[in-house]
Parts: sequence; structure tokens; C-alpha cells
Amino acid sequence: MPLQWLFLIVLAIATLGYVMGRRRALAAAHHDRRRLHSLPSYYGANAGLKAFVPAFLFAVIWLLVQPLVVTNTVSNMLGADVIPDTSSRGLVMSEVRRAADGLDAAVAQGFITKDRARSADADLNEVTESLKSAGQIITSELTRPILNAAQRYRAMTGAGASIMSGLVILIALAGALWGIWQAKAEFRARNVVEQGIRALLIAAASIAILTTLGIVLSLIFNTIEFFRLYPAADFFLGLNWAPSFSGRGGSSDLGVLPLLWGTLYISLVALSVAVPIGLFAAVYLSEYASPRARGIAKPLLEILAGIPTIVYGLFALLTVGPLLMQVFGEDGLGWMQAGTAVMTAGLVMGIMLIPFVSSLSDDIINAVPQAMRDGSYGLGATQSETIRQVVLPAALPGIVGAILLAASRAIGETMIVVLGAGAAARLSLNPFDAMTTVTAKIVSQLTGDADFASPEALVAFALGMTLFVITLALNVFALYVVRKYREQYE
Amino acid sequence: MTETALNPRPMPVKKDLMVEDANTRRRNAAEKRFRAYGLAAILIGLFFLIVLAVSILRNGLPAFTQTVVSVEFTLKAADRDAAESQLFKTKAYQDLFIAELAGKLDERGVEVVFDAATIERLLGKIGGDLRAFYQANPDRVGEPVSFELPASSRVDGYFNGRVTRETLQDSRFLMAADLDLVDAMQEAGIVQSSLNWTFLTGADSGVDNPGGAGIGASVIGSFFMMLVVLVLSLPIGVAASIYLEEFAPKNRFTDLIEVNISNLAAVPSIVFGILGLAVFIQFMHLPQSAPLVGGLVLTLMTLPTIIISTRASLKSVPPSIRDAALGVGASKMQSVFHHVLPLAMPGILTGTIIGLAQALGETAPLLLIGMVGFVARGYPDGFVAGFTEANSAMPAQIYTWAARADASFYDKAWGGIIVLLVFLLSMNILAILLRRKFERRW
Amino acid sequence: MYDSPISERQLTQQEIKFSARGVQVYYGDNHAIKGVDVDLEDKTVTAFIGPSGCGKSTFLRCLNRMNDTIDICRVEGTITLDDQDIYDKRVDPVQLRARVGMVFQKPNPFPKSIYDNVAYGPRIHGMARNRDELDSIVEKSLRRAAIWDEVKDRLNAPGTGLSGGQQQRLCIARAVATEPEVLLMDEPCSALDPIATAQVEELIDELRQDYSVVIVTHSMQQAARVSQKTAFFHLGHLVEFGETSQIFTNPEDKRTESYITGRIG
Repeated sequence: MPLQWLFLIVLAIATLGYVMGRRRALAAAHHDRRRLHSLPSYYGANAGLKAFVPAFLFAVIWLLVQPLVVTNTVSNMLGADVIPDTSSRGLVMSEVRRAADGLDAAVAQGFITKDRARSADADLNEVTESLKSAGQIITSELTRPILNAAQRYRAMTGAGASIMSGLVILIALAGALWGIWQAKAEFRARNVVEQGIRALLIAAASIAILTTLGIVLSLIFNTIEFFRLYPAADFFLGLNWAPSFSGRGGSSDLGVLPLLWGTLYISLVALSVAVPIGLFAAVYLSEYASPRARGIAKPLLEILAGIPTIVYGLFALLTVGPLLMQVFGEDGLGWMQAGTAVMTAGLVMGIMLIPFVSSLSDDIINAVPQAMRDGSYGLGATQSETIRQVVLPAALPGIVGAILLAASRAIGETMIVVLGAGAAARLSLNPFDAMTTVTAKIVSQLTGDADFASPEALVAFALGMTLFVITLALNVFALYVVRKYREQYE
Repeated sequence: MTETALNPRPMPVKKDLMVEDANTRRRNAAEKRFRAYGLAAILIGLFFLIVLAVSILRNGLPAFTQTVVSVEFTLKAADRDAAESQLFKTKAYQDLFIAELAGKLDERGVEVVFDAATIERLLGKIGGDLRAFYQANPDRVGEPVSFELPASSRVDGYFNGRVTRETLQDSRFLMAADLDLVDAMQEAGIVQSSLNWTFLTGADSGVDNPGGAGIGASVIGSFFMMLVVLVLSLPIGVAASIYLEEFAPKNRFTDLIEVNISNLAAVPSIVFGILGLAVFIQFMHLPQSAPLVGGLVLTLMTLPTIIISTRASLKSVPPSIRDAALGVGASKMQSVFHHVLPLAMPGILTGTIIGLAQALGETAPLLLIGMVGFVARGYPDGFVAGFTEANSAMPAQIYTWAARADASFYDKAWGGIIVLLVFLLSMNILAILLRRKFERRW
Repeated sequence: MYDSPISERQLTQQEIKFSARGVQVYYGDNHAIKGVDVDLEDKTVTAFIGPSGCGKSTFLRCLNRMNDTIDICRVEGTITLDDQDIYDKRVDPVQLRARVGMVFQKPNPFPKSIYDNVAYGPRIHGMARNRDELDSIVEKSLRRAAIWDEVKDRLNAPGTGLSGGQQQRLCIARAVATEPEVLLMDEPCSALDPIATAQVEELIDELRQDYSVVIVTHSMQQAARVSQKTAFFHLGHLVEFGETSQIFTNPEDKRTESYITGRIG
């Protein structure tokens, strides 16, 4: 049964529960709502919530656990002899899964009958043929164990789905009945419903934790898998980045250092554009500009922050790159080979970060108490002396925090570097060379044709882990610094 | 001078207020310089904004127009029968068309030499189109039919100045000599510019057909994703904010949530893409390239933003409102849902719209879950099917075009950006209007 | 106007430092100071007293043009320092403020070391030619502000770490370090406890040797203790100005009397 339908059925049961619960409560109070402990709708809501929430949670958990169980069972079915030396269990399992998906599609499009797709001794060639005509991609020869595993996989998945549908509907009905049965005049429906809602609120708030957990777990598991296939020392200390394109092991050099260097170099260029401009703009806006000028310039600058990064990426690739080529390229100074370079990406990223630095610094500069400025003016300091020697030093921790946040933004930025920085990983000092970054390589390794289980794809998770750890450390530190700064003047 | 030098401190001489001493002059000059740096910083920022706007508009507007050759063509029944009897039928139709076009040009006194290959480069496989038309409408044979034939994107480029005779390199797409025919047709008034509906409503085309590429399908993909984001992130975000702002006790669990939210808001978007890939596609086996998965990933990414802005609007409702509700015997839950939440709603909606606008422009996570390089099959029936069918999204579509080798797609990418920015702009204006209308000062 | 006959009556023992004639101050539409004429003497402590919002602080801030930093503030009339109009177009407020120092209501040390706090003024005005000179200026200023003994061992500690009374004396040291001729003090003791207040008051008395001190205060006892001259402001008018002893024992104006006896204020 498709999930949408299951969802609608449970919703219908819950609605029915609401109506019945409300009606029963009113009937119990002889249609005098004053005799009820709570408003009638609370009795209905009690039944509705009891029908919907447990059933929904059960379905979600089932959907999460089922693939684990199925994969595990099917994986155990495959003997060690089935797995070729050049491959891993993960790779074989993804083949099984693809074959299963292919069979689904072939059955749906009518290229193979349900029974043929199920039968254990189906003709390999026939199945392969039907998969192909259903437009499924088959990377390698379909073998008997894999086909059988795929069939088992399909069978278990299908059975799991039916069992789940039945159980979910049963749970919903049971919940609704319980809620309706509870609807008596003295039952404290409001308190129960409010407790339920409170639990839902807590669950919603916990999604933040679940997200972080999801990020960390998906990164860690895949990174461990990667380090099983590729030595960690080579990854962290390797000076060469040259993945093989076959997507099947082979001799890939997957050293992270050239990527980290590219990331840091581009971020450095970006920050050296954004920090001076952003900081001076913030100082001018908060200390010098008239309220009118501020009212116009500040929102205009902030438009730059609202523009999607893909726009900046295109701007780098098609406008800034060619422009830089005219000046620094072969017709000009001859320092630049192609429009995509560290300079291009860094410059454009710097533009993107200007409002980020300026509005954060603006807030921070405004938080410096006026008494500081008065003290300085009272001694006969000029405005710029006051800013440079009193306001900025006082705001320094906050500004450092803002710059660190901007740095973390720059390190994690993807689209600008994908389009503007080039694809070659290299350790070079020339800012007009094309280089590449951690984020750009995450994209290219995961959008290629490489199998998810191959080191070439798994390396993206190790890169993601590196990126996550770096930005997390920067963020935590920056947020800490900014918070400490705020407390100082509160 | 020696006396002052011996004195450890400058003598407190009474200075004349009316005369600017050297020190003050120097300091005032520094003041002016500093101020100028600040102004320069602002102007540089605004300059970048203008350059960005100009390059978007200048490069993107051509995508919305299309060069059309309009020819009135009459197919005589005899000609058709003759053509159908030949081996290369479409070739025969093409020859008929060329003869007609040459006649038209002669009629208007324009002389130009061209051959079938030129026509093919300018207008594509025109013979097949004609034949298809007459096979579908056999009753139109013998009467004049006016055809509006879209010219190739290279010709578009020639008309809006991207391609000139000097910069054009002869290729199988367009030869410099072909431009003679284009000029001739223009002189004869049978070439004109019209709104490119294909671009606005169509889906992406293959790599060899920039003229047929459209943004429409990905607009719908984006719309589906935003629907998912709205339906999930608004209730979850509001619920989480209400708990944290109104109910949460001060304990380690709450602290953990708070720290998590502020950190998630600063996690690079690509990491959310990795999360989506690993959890939704690898682990839960949801379909790749589907708006549902895109929406889920963007929801997780947008939630922190929405929670932060919602908490700010809840905080701005004064405690006296809560006290008043509690004072007449409402439960805490009732006071929040009946009084605080409605009062905070405009702020919440504004924050949500801004969060959605952010999500709409996000590209990186979509690349990882495969919403890229999607060419619609069976458009327009294919994609409207729903949330789990493969589709693209506006920013991912723009990226696809930008990453193609054929420069003709760049126009489309810029044009796509204009469409994207129009959506973003209207969402932001909506947010500003909401804020203006419902803003309440306590 | 009440002011002119009063000031004519004074026996001028000291040189006149500040002289104000017909000073009007507006904050936007609000008329804050209404026609004040007054002469302030050198090497004298002058106290400005009056109820809240009477304009005493505003007038004080006119004397070193601190009001310039407020956009909506407008000053009319003339104020002269040593017979030079301080509101003349040619006058740079920065140069003026070097000569007319100011201490504020709340201690506002910069978030820098004690040493840097005091050295800030001399540095920006280029008063020291080398480190030794700067050291001696800092030491002398701290001594004069009677805080040297408390901080001499921790000159590099942040100024914000001192106690309230110490911070205010540090601010006074910071103000005297630039060798001003006049020291303006805007309720310098309102944020301090009685012991710190006593220390600062003692200090003010000593500062009279070298400077003209103008102090705004809410406390009439304080005015009586530290000042030689007192000016009473009410609703933007300078109601009465004269010898402190006379103002407190035998005020001429009814309003002054009411204020001193606690009926208005």
C-alpha cells in the first residue's frame, strides 16, 4: 500500500476518533457541557491524538528499521565466495539493491511478469533483457546469487510493507478506541491533551539534536567505511589528489592537503576582500552616516547577502573570470591561464561576505556603550581616533567572532568554488592558478558515476567530516567569543 | 628650543583656539582620510551590487526573447505527392521550403545566395517539422499557412550582440557566411523577435539543443520542494520554538538543543546535502532527484533559521499578555496558543518566508541528492505526477546550464537567474509588506 | 534676567576663565537652556545645582562642545574661553577639549590597561616625545588623582577591573593627564559609595590649586562641601549665581530658597 494512502487512512481514523470522542463526552454529560471537566473538543482531541501519534511514530520507526533488517539478512545470505576480491560486500549489496529496484521497475512497466520476477530459477538472460528494456542501468553481469539475493530483498521489502500497513492501522484503531472509551465527564481531558501536546513540542525541539546526530552518524559511518578501503594516513597527509575515474578502486591518490590548501587560500582571498570593506562599511554606517544614508545604504548592502550563491557562482564564472583574464591573462600580464582561479572565486566570495561582516560588525560596534565614546571625545580625541583606539579595541572580541563566522562561511561555501575556482587540485602559491576545495570535491565525487561503496565516492564523506569538524570548531569558538562579548556590555 | 628640550613636558602654554596647530592639522587630515575609507567601502559594496545587477540583466534578458523567422508557406498537393514519393522525404520538404523562401526574398528585392546546409544551421531540421505538420493536418494542403520557425540560439546571439561576424568561428553550428542570409531575411522583414515561451514553460533540453531549454519544469520542481519545506518546517519550527521559549526548563537537555540549533544554523549547506544523501537516499531508499527528498533536506536546513526568528517574535510578546490569560484561569498551554502565538504570528510568517526564500536559492545540497542534469521525458505529463518523481529545481537547473560546455546555455543560466530572483524578490517584498501591515510596538 | 546684577556684585578675586552670554540650547524643538549669562573663574570650584532636567548638565556640556556629538542639538549665544569664542567657526572642538577636560557621571574607563587609559590623552595630543616622558606624565596624573599608590604595581591590569571609586579616580587621572585648564565634572560621584565619594571630593579640592573645576551635582551637601561658587539652575534658567556660602545661607531668589530647603526638586 502506498504510504500516502496509509497516511490518509490513519488521518481518517484520527478524525473519526475526534468526532466520536467529543460526541461521547457530551452524551456522558447529558449534553450539558458544564458538567464536563474540560471543553468537549479536548475529549475529541484526546481520541484523535491517541489514534494518530502512536501509529505515525510506529510507521516512522518501522520505515527506519526495516531497511537495516532486510539489508542485514540479505547480506548474510551472500556467502564470502560471492564477493570478488576486487570488490567489497557493500558494493555487492548495492548491486543487489539495484537489481531489486530494476525488477520493481520492470514489473511496473510490464516487461516481466510478477511470477517470473519472483521465481528462484528465472532465466538470467531473460531477466537481464527485461531490466534493460525497462531502462534500468546494469553495471555488471547479473549472477545467480545476486539475482536470488535481489529476489529475497524484494520479497522481504514487500512483506515488510504489508505487515507495517496492517499494524499501523491496528494501532491507530486501538488508540482511537481507547481515547473514545476515556471520554467520560470526570476524565481530565485537557490535562491529558496538554501533556500530549507538550510531548509533541519537545519532540519538535529535539529534531535539532536528531539532525546533528544524523549528520554526525552518516559522516562517521561512511568515513570509517572509507578508511577501511583507504589508509587514513594517506588521506590526511597525502600531497596528491588524483581519483581514478573508473569508480572501481584502482590507484587513486586521495590526499586531502591540496584541497585544504585550496579551501584556505580561497577563504583567505575572500576574507581579505570582505573584512576591510565590511569593517569600514560598518564603521561608516554606525559612526558617520546620517540616519537617512544609513537607511538607504544598509538594506542595499544586505541585498548582497540575500542573493543565492548560485548567482555568485555564475557571476564568477562568466563575468569576473573573463574580466580578470583580460587584465591578468595572456593578453595582459600573463599570470593567468584560465578564468577559473583562486582569485576569481575568492573575489566573488569576498563580495558575498561583505554584508555578512558589515552587519555583524555593525551590531557589535553599536553595542559599545556611548560612555566610551564620550570619555574619548571629552579628552579631545577626534572621531577617527575614538573609533580606532577606543571603539574598535572594545569591540575587538566581537569582531573577531564575526570574522570567524565569515571564515566558516567561506570554508563551507560550495557553488562559487564549484563554478569559479576550477577543478584541478594543486598546491600552489599563485592566486591566479586554478585550485579546488573540499566542498567542490564533495560535489564532484558524489555526483559522478562512482558507486557509493567505492573509495572514490566514500572519500566525499571523509571530506565532509573534515569540513564539518573545521566549521564546527570555528562556529563554536566564534559563538562563544561573541556571547562572552555581549555579556560584557549587558 | 633648547629650553623646551630640557623641559620633560611641553610647557602648558596658552594655545590660541582660533589657530589650528600642526598636530591638530595632522589629526584632522587623518580624520578625513579615515572617513573617506569608510565611504569608499560603502561605495565599493554598492558598486559590486550594481555590477552584479547589470550583468544579470544584460546577460539574462536575451533568454526571454527568441528570434523567429515567420514565413508564409503554401504546399501544393502535387508538390506533396512528389515529395512523399521520394526516398529522402524530409529533404524534399526542405527543398520546397527553400524554394519558397528564396522566392519570398526575391519578391522583396533582396538577393542572397544560400543552400540547404545554411537553412539547416539556421532553422534546424525544418523539413521534418513541415512534413509532420502536413501529416497531422492534411486539410491544410493547398492553402497558405504561416509558420513561425525559431532560429537557432546562435542567430539569437547574433541579434543581441553576443555573436558578431568578427568573433564568430565557423563551426557546424553557424558559419560567418550564414549571417548574409540572416541579414537578408532581416532586411526582408521576415525575422522578428518574440517572447520565448519555451524558455518560460519548458523543461531542460538535451546538451545539443540550447534553443529548446526551458526553466518551467524546474520552477514546478522548486514549487513542490517549497511546499514540502513549508508544510514541515513551519509547524515543526513553531512547535520547537514554543517549547524552547515558553515551556523549557533550564536544564542540560535544553542547553543541548540550544547549542545544536545555533550550530546547525552555521553548518555549511553541503553538509546537509551529505546528510540527505546518506540518510534519505542510501539508508531510507527514497527516490533520487525527487522534490520530496530535496524538500526534506531543505527543511532540515531551514529549521534553525525559522526557529531563531520565531523565538524572537515570541519573545517580543510582552509577559503581561501571558499573565492576563493565566489570570482569568487559562492553562499555560491555552495562554500560549490563544494569545501569544496569534500575536507573534506576523513575525513568524515573515521569518518563515525569509527562510523559504533562502531555501529556494540553495543549490549545493540539491546537487548531492541528484537534482541535477534532469531532462524531462514526456514533458509536460512526466513531472506533475508528484513529489516522488524525478525533477529539477531552479538553482540546480541554472547550475546544470552553467556547467555545460556550450556557451549558448549561459544565456539560459542568466535568464534562469532572473526568474529565480523575481521569485526571491516577491517573497521578500511579501515579507516586508507583512511586517509593515502587522508590525506592533509594545 | 537675574544673572547680570548677581555677577556684577561679585568680588572678582580670580581671572575669569569662561564667560557665557545669552546662551540658548535647543534639542530639536525642546528649549533646554534659556538665556544663561555667567562668568566662571580660574582656580575655583564652581558647582551647578538644580532639580533634574533643569539644564545644568546640558550647560556643562556646552563648555567643551560635547553637545556637538548630538545631531539635534543647537547652541546659540556666545561662550568665551580666555576671551576667545569657543563656538567660532575656526575653533576645532578637538583642540578645545584638550584644554577643557571632562569627567562623566558613570566611570567609563576604556577596556585597556590602567597605563593606556591615562596615556591615551597625552598620546593623541602628542604631548610626550618618548616613553620616559609618557611614564612620568602617567605617574604624575595618577598621583594627582590620588590613586597612584593603589595601582602602581598593576599598571598593566585592565582599568575595568578596578572598583567604582578607583575607576572614577582613574577617569580623573585620565582627564588631568592632558593638562587641561578647566575640568568639567558631570555628577562625578553619583555612581559611587560614600567612602569613594569622600575620596573624590577631597581630590576635587586639591585640583583647585591648578584648575578651574566645574562640577554638576545633585547633592547640595556636596556643593556646599567642595565649591566656592554655586550656580542654581531651574527649568533652563540660571536663577542665582554667587558665593557658595551666600547661596546656602542667604539666597536671594525664592526658587533657590525653596530648592535648598527641599520644597522643589
